Amino acid sequence: MNGSIINASVTMNALQQRLDLLAENIANVNTAGYKRKQGTFEDLLTNAKQQPEAFRKDGRIGPMGYNQGWGARFLQLGPDMTQGSLKETGTATDMAIEGNALFQVAADGKTAYTRSGAFQLTVRGNGDTILATEAGYPVLGTRGGAGQPGPIVVPAGVTLQISGEGVVEGVHADGTRENLGQLSLASPARPELLTPVEDNLFVVPDGLAAGDVLTAAAAGPDSGIAVRQGYVEQSNVNVVDEMTELLNVQRAYQLSARALTSADSMLGMANNMRG
Amino acid sequence: MLRGLYTAAAGMVAQQRVHDTVTTNIANLNTTGYKQSNALNRSFPDMLLSMTGKNDEPSRRIGRLSTGVLAEESIALQVQGDLNKTDRASDFAIASNIEVPGTVFDASGKSVAQDGTVTYRPQAYFTVQDADGQTRYTRGGQFHLAADGSLLTADGSAVLGKNNRPVTFPAGTSMDSLKLNGAYDFTDADGAATGRSLLVTRVDRVQDLVREGDGKFRLDGQGGAAPATAADGVEVRQGYTERSNVDATQAMVDMMGALRAYEANQKVVQYYDKSLEKAVNEVGKV
Repeated sequence: MNGSIINASVTMNALQQRLDLLAENIANVNTAGYKRKQGTFEDLLTNAKQQPEAFRKDGRIGPMGYNQGWGARFLQLGPDMTQGSLKETGTATDMAIEGNALFQVAADGKTAYTRSGAFQLTVRGNGDTILATEAGYPVLGTRGGAGQPGPIVVPAGVTLQISGEGVVEGVHADGTRENLGQLSLASPARPELLTPVEDNLFVVPDGLAAGDVLTAAAAGPDSGIAVRQGYVEQSNVNVVDEMTELLNVQRAYQLSARALTSADSMLGMANNMRG
Repeated sequence: MLRGLYTAAAGMVAQQRVHDTVTTNIANLNTTGYKQSNALNRSFPDMLLSMTGKNDEPSRRIGRLSTGVLAEESIALQVQGDLNKTDRASDFAIASNIEVPGTVFDASGKSVAQDGTVTYRPQAYFTVQDADGQTRYTRGGQFHLAADGSLLTADGSAVLGKNNRPVTFPAGTSMDSLKLNGAYDFTDADGAATGRSLLVTRVDRVQDLVREGDGKFRLDGQGGAAPATAADGVEVRQGYTERSNVDATQAMVDMMGALRAYEANQKVVQYYDKSLEKAVNEVGKV
């Protein structure tokens, strides 16, 4: 088989994957708390056509053997965890994190992580009103500063007040304040290992300990992490960057397609040699 | 048999190889740290033609004739690629500008001395260990930390430190909290040493590097490899990647050239076929 054809088709596949990722980023340019996905290319395994020592002639530059590459592949890198801009909404259940941390939510019995703080109040099966994400996953927090993180239960008739340290307080109509819990935050130490899943969540893949990927974080001046109530974090996708990359990828795709056409005409010539 | 028939066929095979190489370059237009390969052709060994059949005088020489061409080697163009700012703390790019006293290199990193000897500009590489534990060199600096804290390249090879051992960070360390200083040592955000470093290797005979794929090069024998220092003119920049050094325009031109040269060879084969047709069917026809 013609090496150029394999090369070009393998590469067009890889470029298509890059294009898909760019499309996903651009689609999420307005998704609160979305983190840009990144990828890179790598050249594929090279094989060397062995040459006997008799091939060595004066003027040869490199070692013996003729190296032939087989195109490029696409590798997805971890999400880009840089800060998105904060947009004021004035809604009491909207929260944004400044700094390197993620909210913890309970998703189907597992802990998932998210930057999207556009929360809402929702009613659980047992009648409790709890703080949950847009998709309905309970937001986790600890009560009394210790113990297993659990959902944050909001009593009826209170207004929510969240401090910069992530302490959730309910203010009753008569002005009394009730501590409802402390939002659990986690800092991604190795964001490459977080797997993005649906509903703007990240999970730790099976087989990895959460402690190897994330560390528990406390909001405060020391850690540089703060929770801002009444704000949502915008997507950190920069449309200009994505479009530039799109142009780049599209032209590379075009060039590979040209190489494929060119290789095809070579095969055609070989086939039509007899006329 | 007509000699040129095989010469032209050899030409087609060689041009096919050139085309394959150019396609590989095009494939890696966006590959981090990729180095363009150039296919070099060589003519078959010459043969000397002599006239025979005349017994009364010694054979008369006609001249030299080469009966074909072969793709001899594909050489990686080991010159610096453009640096691209990514702001990822785990991206590293080598900006290498190694000077050799008394030698002036051209844009392709080559210097031809008066006596015709060619020297190539030495380059610096990240040193990594592949899955089999072998030392390899790469310019692809998109690293990441694995769950066990080891620093890996994008394809999972372990990055080596100055102590020639894989770089490993303790649990909970994030790349964002690490800075690489001018001596390729990692410090924490406050500038305190972490005891970890990157081993940057200077390779003097870059033409001896053999491409292995996944951005890695192998150096057969340790000839000319030594740890690089900032004094060599090698800088490692954090938050940057090195782009592929493939020139898209040049690649396009080379591809068209290879295609047309292939076509020309194909035509020559056809002409020979026509000549043979005449010889077989028309010579001696009554």
